[in-house]
Amino acid sequence: MAAAPPILQLRNIVKSFGSLNAVDGVSLDIVEGELFTIVGPSGSGKTTLIRMLVGMDKPTAGDILLRGKRINDVPANKRPTCMVFQSLALFPHMSVGENVEYSAKCKGIGKKERRERAAECLKLSHLPQSYYDKPVTQCSGGERQRVALARALAFNPEILFFDEPLSAIDYRLRKTLEKELKDIQRETGKTFVYITHSLEEAMVMSDRIGVMREGKLSQVGSPATIYTQPENRFVTEFMGEVNSLPVQLADDGRLHCEKLDASFEPPAEMPPGFSRGVLIVRPENVAISDDPEPAAGGNLIRGELFNEYLLGSRIQYQVRSGAMVFLIEELRADAVARIPGAEVTLSWQPGDSMVFPE
Amino acid sequence: MGTIDRLLTRRLLAAYIAVILVIMYIPMVIVGLASISKSRFFLFPMKRTSSKWYEMTWDSLQVHESFLTSLTIAVCVALISVILAFFGALAYARYDWRGRKLFQQVLLIPIFFPQAVLGLALQLWFNSIGIQMSWQSTVFAQLVWIVPIVTLVIAIQAYGYDSAVEEAAYDLGASRWQIFRTITLPLLGPGIFAGFLFAVLLSWGNFPLAYFTSGADVTVPEWLYGKMIGGYTPMVPAVGLITVVLGGIILAVGLTINGMLQRRD
Repeated sequence: MAAAPPILQLRNIVKSFGSLNAVDGVSLDIVEGELFTIVGPSGSGKTTLIRMLVGMDKPTAGDILLRGKRINDVPANKRPTCMVFQSLALFPHMSVGENVEYSAKCKGIGKKERRERAAECLKLSHLPQSYYDKPVTQCSGGERQRVALARALAFNPEILFFDEPLSAIDYRLRKTLEKELKDIQRETGKTFVYITHSLEEAMVMSDRIGVMREGKLSQVGSPATIYTQPENRFVTEFMGEVNSLPVQLADDGRLHCEKLDASFEPPAEMPPGFSRGVLIVRPENVAISDDPEPAAGGNLIRGELFNEYLLGSRIQYQVRSGAMVFLIEELRADAVARIPGAEVTLSWQPGDSMVFPE
Repeated sequence: MGTIDRLLTRRLLAAYIAVILVIMYIPMVIVGLASISKSRFFLFPMKRTSSKWYEMTWDSLQVHESFLTSLTIAVCVALISVILAFFGALAYARYDWRGRKLFQQVLLIPIFFPQAVLGLALQLWFNSIGIQMSWQSTVFAQLVWIVPIVTLVIAIQAYGYDSAVEEAAYDLGASRWQIFRTITLPLLGPGIFAGFLFAVLLSWGNFPLAYFTSGADVTVPEWLYGKMIGGYTPMVPAVGLITVVLGGIILAVGLTINGMLQRRD
């Protein structure tokens, strides 16, 4: 992957609205043929960023290069890229076929060729050919997604952008469409740049992920890297629910948590110059036990079990200890029956925890 | 208990609707009756009926001229107001620009202005800048009042569709002109049509603005008014009824066309 040339390069992109920098110095190389996802909470600047990449807005500073050529000032209708909008923005007064053929018609391509291309794109996005004459207003939510995709594919863009098109779709259909999208990307070999606020969505589809926060890229990497080696507290917490303990480094080299009045053995790798910050342990890395001295050892803390949720294949427990509530997850198959209100011992291996400075 | 209550409610509702319809349409019926009264003045109950007032109306040069004047004004007003209102509605509903809020408020003022006052103001103004008043000045006067209304009608349509469709077309390689022709215009079509119809009907029935600004030209409402205050004959209700029927036909044809356009979508 690293050998492939970058198709799109962002060099220190800034977009300001008044005194606010919605996008604040983003630099990134997107490789030809990859599915790159930009993920971040709402307000992190991801939509502002993608609007500049497709040419709807101009960056305040910085350069956008497509295959090495600066395209900052090229308007959207002159760029060989295309976007699937959050609202899909299908043309409501046209049929499915007319929607898909729109770009070709604008280019003045003949009817027969247009029709052939449309048929191809309907097939690619799993729409029956009989939908060609169907008004888009009569299509269901999932079908409309496919029409929007077919319309964008018919444009034959060098890069296809997606601005959270699946956010309004129900969970099960979304899962299906995510996988189909990945298949289509693989089949066409096109570069896809996808935007979402859902990390789960990003994990399923992406070759690489860029996590955005307050206009900046917090971390860029493969889904596995982002999950196993998050570079900062934000990325770690954005991944999902975690246990975050405020800690400071004590004289004896252990991490002291005032809130719990307890100290823990730190992980082997500590940020240089660490004095105070946060100790993070994922729920699935915490073991729960009735035994006050679990055999596995590690960092221990006593608490009272007060809630239990069944999450499909896993069970989540909430355990109160002093002023804090811990989250613990274990596989349902491994779980034993537990009584709410019971005293339990939580434990984790120092190597499974992460420490970030404040 | 419940069913009796519901039955009662339904009957009361029906009676209520009937009362409203009677109150609304009884004047029309009376105008109709007055136009077929044989005697010059309308007395109730009517002794004898006659169609002679319709024959006289048909033969009257004055009536012909006033119909032509009214129609000319209505068509001019409708065409001009639709063009102005189309762009006004885009500015009103579509684009974010400095001063848009102010524009939205200023636009409404002429609608709330009493028409007689507006007519008088326009008359004084036409006089002071030395414009010879005729049906053309009435077109202008009516535009002052009708353009804001048509703008609102089209703006409602503009609010009704996702503005991202224009961006999507742009992104798919369409030029500004192609977007206008293939996206904006068709999507605003029903609003433009409704606005046109509104403009024709408002202009057709408008009296106060025409009264102050038409100079020597006489529109249908003006002719009716003139006859009412000096020389009433049952031609007045006859012309009145014809006007109403014509208006109704325009509306019916318009709504049918609109319905056919929408079914095609």
